[in-house]
Amino acid sequence: MADLIWLHEGALRRTHPVFAAAAPGTAAIFVWDRARFAAGHVGARRQLFIAETLAELEIEIHEGDAAVLLPQLVAAHGANRLLVPASPDPAIIGQIATIRQAMPRVAVEQVEDTAFVTLPREPDLARFFRYWNKARKSALRPHGV
Amino acid sequence: MIAALVGEAAAADETASLKGGRRAAERALAAIDPIAYAASRNHLDGAVTRLSPYLRHGILSLDEVRNHALASVADPRQAEKFIQELAWRDYWQRIYLVHPDRIWNDVESYKTGFDASEYDSELPADVVEGRTGVACIDQFIAMLYETGYLHNHARMYLAAYVVHWRRVRWQAGAVWFLEHLLDADPASNNLSWQWVASTFSKKPYIFNLDNVAKYTGHDINTRMADNRVLALSYERLGELLFPNLEPAHG
Repeated sequence: MADLIWLHEGALRRTHPVFAAAAPGTAAIFVWDRARFAAGHVGARRQLFIAETLAELEIEIHEGDAAVLLPQLVAAHGANRLLVPASPDPAIIGQIATIRQAMPRVAVEQVEDTAFVTLPREPDLARFFRYWNKARKSALRPHGV
Repeated sequence: MIAALVGEAAAADETASLKGGRRAAERALAAIDPIAYAASRNHLDGAVTRLSPYLRHGILSLDEVRNHALASVADPRQAEKFIQELAWRDYWQRIYLVHPDRIWNDVESYKTGFDASEYDSELPADVVEGRTGVACIDQFIAMLYETGYLHNHARMYLAAYVVHWRRVRWQAGAVWFLEHLLDADPASNNLSWQWVASTFSKKPYIFNLDNVAKYTGHDINTRMADNRVLALSYERLGELLFPNLEPAHG
């Protein structure tokens, strides 16, 4: 199975589990998506910060609409699986949905980051301390286990 | 391509103090002191870590930062305050995933005696330009523009000033911060603005000049003559800022 990794601005490191989930040597791509940056209010200073981070990562960078470019890049790489670090960002979730529609035969999988805490069930998010009271014990242990 | 992107962004901003990249992130992580953090984090010159831009962009994970903090103390409880702050990010991200509608909409009504429609939807020009005439506020705005970073207390002061003193909807302030902060995250940022505004808390957050003086150093101008609108008791501020609310008793 040939893989391709789409790294976005919420997961800019090579130790993210998305790399371990992919076949060894899988290429990672970042799409400099000006429209998504503008919609997300990403200012010039943050763009510089992201660019500096990308320079160290030494990954393939393309410019344009990620939802349009990625199906083309998946085809160009001969990949049949696209791996993406999981993100709560609705803009990224929306682009993943568009990409799935554009290439129904390619698996698009989101890979979660390493967990901060381990919780037996979904916590009550109504107020922070309701969450913290359930999460504290796990949070104070190495690896949150 | 990267050189072009960095050059283009750098041309727009030549003063960023925190550098991107994993190497810079690891240096910042190696320098953290969870015990000093717990003791001094509320002060603007306290031992805060400035890890937030690296966490925001996944350059560091919450897990590895927590593990590093635990390894640097004898007892996990010595790192608890620091780890609790990491937990705030985990909490905001969970809300973002489960309730994305809460990021730009009021989670609850304002508890200020005003309806949302009574707040301006645009930031006043003097706030944007950092010339409000309230000395410490103007310094915090300058800091935001110059460094892309603000101590949490400075964020709270600015947010409270914008929402409660100037009666501007929190969304306008949230966009302003997102555009300038290096760690700008829609969940952490916007839900914190909602916390200050009272649309995601039981009551509005306000502060006064005594509080600013307590937590800032000599580089912040806290002279009464230069910060008149803040130089009041909490009781008086409550009356002035929230005239429709019943005065608090007891």
